[in-house]
Amino acid sequence: MSESAPHVEPLLMRNFARADSHTLGAYHETGGYTALDKARAMEPAAITEEVKKSNLRGLGGAGFPTGMKWSFIPKGHTGPVYLVVNADEGEPGTFKDRYLLERDPHALIEGMIITARAIRCEKAFIYIRGEYVEPWRRFTAAVREAYDAGYLGRGFDIVMHRGAGAYICGEETGLISSLEGKKGWPKVKPPFPAIKGAFGAPTIVNNVETLCHLPHIINRGAEWFAKLGTATQGGTRMYSVSGRIKRPGVYEESCAITLRQLIERAGGVSGNGVLKGVVPGGSSAPILTAQEIDVTMDVDGLRKAGTMAGSAGVIVFDETVSIPEALMVVARFYAHESCGQCTPCRETTGWIYKMSHRIVEGHGSKDDLDTILDLSKRGAGTTICAFFDGAVGPYISYIEKFRSEFEALIPK
Amino acid sequence: MMSRREFSTEQLAEVRRLQDLYPHRQGALLPVLHMAQETFGHISLETEAYVASLFDMAPSHVHEVVTFYTLYFPEQPGRHILSVCHNLSCHLAGAQGILAHLKSRLGIDAGETTADGKVTLLAVECLCACEAAPMMQVDDRYELNLTPAKVDAIVEGLA
Amino acid sequence: MPKVTIDGKEIEVAPGTNLIEAARQLGIDIPHYCYHPSLSIAGQCRLCMVDIEKAPRPTIACNTQAADGMVVHTQTDRVKETRRSVMEFHLINHPLDCPVCDQAGECWLQIYYMKHGLYEPRMKDEKVHKPKAVPLGPHVILDAERCILCSRCVRFCDEVTRTGELGIFNRGDHSEIGLFPGMDLENKYSGNVVDICPVGALTDRDFRFQVRVWYLDTAKSICPGCARGCNIEVHVNRRRPHHAEGRRVARLKPRFNAAVNKWWMCDAGRYGFTFVDDADRLTTPSRREGDATIPISWEEAIAAVKAALTGPADGIGVLASPRMSNEDLFVLRRILDTLGLRQVAFRVPPAAAGDQDNLLIRADKNPNTRGAELIGLDGDASAILAAARAGKLTALLVFHHDLLDSGWPAVEVREALGRVGTVIFAGTNASATSLASHYVLPSAAWVEREGTFTNFEGRVQRFRTAVEPLGESRADWEWLGQLLVALGQAPAGERAERWFRALTAAVPAFAGLSYQSIGDEGQPT
Repeated sequence: MSESAPHVEPLLMRNFARADSHTLGAYHETGGYTALDKARAMEPAAITEEVKKSNLRGLGGAGFPTGMKWSFIPKGHTGPVYLVVNADEGEPGTFKDRYLLERDPHALIEGMIITARAIRCEKAFIYIRGEYVEPWRRFTAAVREAYDAGYLGRGFDIVMHRGAGAYICGEETGLISSLEGKKGWPKVKPPFPAIKGAFGAPTIVNNVETLCHLPHIINRGAEWFAKLGTATQGGTRMYSVSGRIKRPGVYEESCAITLRQLIERAGGVSGNGVLKGVVPGGSSAPILTAQEIDVTMDVDGLRKAGTMAGSAGVIVFDETVSIPEALMVVARFYAHESCGQCTPCRETTGWIYKMSHRIVEGHGSKDDLDTILDLSKRGAGTTICAFFDGAVGPYISYIEKFRSEFEALIPK
Repeated sequence: MMSRREFSTEQLAEVRRLQDLYPHRQGALLPVLHMAQETFGHISLETEAYVASLFDMAPSHVHEVVTFYTLYFPEQPGRHILSVCHNLSCHLAGAQGILAHLKSRLGIDAGETTADGKVTLLAVECLCACEAAPMMQVDDRYELNLTPAKVDAIVEGLA
Repeated sequence: MPKVTIDGKEIEVAPGTNLIEAARQLGIDIPHYCYHPSLSIAGQCRLCMVDIEKAPRPTIACNTQAADGMVVHTQTDRVKETRRSVMEFHLINHPLDCPVCDQAGECWLQIYYMKHGLYEPRMKDEKVHKPKAVPLGPHVILDAERCILCSRCVRFCDEVTRTGELGIFNRGDHSEIGLFPGMDLENKYSGNVVDICPVGALTDRDFRFQVRVWYLDTAKSICPGCARGCNIEVHVNRRRPHHAEGRRVARLKPRFNAAVNKWWMCDAGRYGFTFVDDADRLTTPSRREGDATIPISWEEAIAAVKAALTGPADGIGVLASPRMSNEDLFVLRRILDTLGLRQVAFRVPPAAAGDQDNLLIRADKNPNTRGAELIGLDGDASAILAAARAGKLTALLVFHHDLLDSGWPAVEVREALGRVGTVIFAGTNASATSLASHYVLPSAAWVEREGTFTNFEGRVQRFRTAVEPLGESRADWEWLGQLLVALGQAPAGERAERWFRALTAAVPAFAGLSYQSIGDEGQPT
């Protein structure tokens, strides 16, 4: 018998019900921009320390400790430092940043200003995916309000930058390349962005949701924030739940919630009502079977379970879902979005899509499954960025955990 | 819109303003290409060479950018662009059926434009509206929770 | 300076040295495609992975700088498996073009597959198709299917020639090298992309389908196209004379020299060798009688030269050539000194001003102007022309210049040649001047002899014999040497090296040099 999920007071989603939640007026009414006053009274290093203590982890996909990332900027660096906000949401199953941009853009702006003070940044770029037209409009309007109110333009500016359609621009150095006016090719590391990033300067790339947490951390303290989550990850996060689920949508929960509790919170399994599996962290996260859902939905809990928290895009499969078809769909995605820069990913994603398509069409051969697994294991860890490692998440886990379904489609 | 080949004086001032926002002015390339697409309808090779000249760039490197990203159209698309998501959650919610319905209704395949130049149909990757699957982007807006009937109404309502 | 250990061997390297270079210094080859010492780091091919102690996974060597105390292993099982995997990745969509691909035999997919691959191929799906046989300009042809997208060519055009013609378009496995549609690969160094392309994606149009590379012999040489003296290799086809339309010299390739041309050569030099095997090569000494050309023996020819040069010095003019080697020019100088001849020059103005740039190309399209200066053959060529026109010359000895295709008005040159008693021409190919001469001596081309040139910076560089002289052609130093023997001033059978030694003793600028000290990289005067 599973316990019910702990109830958390919404932080990020607290104003979503208001129709005017995106306006400066509404933001002020609900205590917005008060954290800014507090942050201005703190030393930059003190802000970073507070964020470290809060155990805030990156919520775009990598789950890296945010305060630690900020501290990688070389001490004593005198030139410009850039903050780049990753609003290139694109991980299949994820839609939380869209909500934040449309319904609480000022939270993001306040978070950006706090970050800018901590890392001594005077100019930030926000990279919004090109398809997000309404979020762009809402955020642009909020930026204008913030300039008019004097929150921006006094030592800190925001430059809006619109993407042009490429999932790989969600990878932080792919984003930087795109910001620099090139193809979204991720950069060879080292050097890492905190040392040498956008336009050659130390750069911090943070996800939208990560930054929206900062006003709360500053206002109510790191200790409080840390206690909301697990021992190694503080706070809440917004889970995007979709697929065969009765109430798809965004759910802000403590990151200590289990997957079973989250599914329940979202109304339970639809389709034929019987759970087959769950992709817990966007399509790049290895799938969990119905027997594996008593896992906490935090970065370290999911890593220990052999998968990842990623972007917290939770896609639910009921028993009527064909896993081979699902593999074909995601394989098509990775083949389409591979930037093509490095050989293992460029060549393998295309070939694996062809094989997965053949299998679904009934023309698979006995060796195909082992070939896909072998190529995945050989290629993982050999590429410039983690895109391919994300791709092999489904390639390997769908076949290893649901092999009989694939074999059933292969002619004897 | 079709016959103009260059930006207006005001637009050129905007190009310079954008270029000044970035530490290296090449950063303004994507925004300026968006401007070019909005002004000229699509980004032809001639436009690529023109934009390259505004940045002192080799045209090959502008061509690289235009062919890499999916939102830049090298040929004139239809007056309306219907981008149907066919990624995972939308697939589970019946995206294939929505696409099939549109293909048959419009008489074109994905990636094509109707003969009267009205509609371009595209099958695209995740638009991040999975909670409202199946869905598509119609020009600047998202149309959610599609059904064949809803799709028909949307298509009929296109000017 | 950081000390690193690679495969158990320790070496101290300059700060900033990457692991590929550090290993190279130890004689260890780390396989790679996209890395090139002259270009920025791409890190795209993923073949140069090595195991570094304390690193959890293999790391690419090109982007790793040697750090003090670093311990690197290039032959672990894990590294070998990674290389085998990367070879398979590269070959997934690669077309099986070897039977028709010029690169066969010097192809790095073939070479590394045999060394690091050797797996059972399992790709049974349709490969991605891309454009094939696409001319990229006058010299280079592209096969986009064969391309492994290492981006060397793109980086070369961006970083070395700074012309930016090439790009990689699209994405994923539809990525494709190409030009901006409608443009050409027009820079003057386009042939270098063929050298740096590891596979048969970019090949020479000139060399296309001519001869298989394993039939070629090579010789180290110097390009004679301008005063830079780019270091080159001459590739000759001796073993399949029925291939390459019978051409013996199949192609030229640049040879690395840090002080002269680095890794490159220009297109004019690279493709400027066809004169060597052209039908208009002079292959027999000859004498003109009216309109007829009578073949004669070398003895008769040398005797004729001797006779022409024996006489009052005022009546004898010699137009040496800055295309001659130091050895050729030195022997000529000895003859002139012996006979007391002083009307000598070598600066005949060219028909058109030569182009020059900031990379390699020099306006002076001769390989040995500096040598001719140092050996003391400078003079007033126009005065010699004037003397000839005035009918004052009994003999004019012209080396290599086609005076009728020069900066001098052709009508004046015709007048001049018509008024000289005996015009003797020595050169490699027939020309308007040779047709107007009384005696024609066939010179061996530079690839057909050995010697040295002195480049515009005073660097003396050796070129070696690549093929035998065509027909009866002889190195200028050889027949001039025989003339010197006939004048009683030299022992018979001297070789080029002996002439060089004599030169170093006679001309202070060359003192202390030897063929050995010049070696393969040259030596400053």
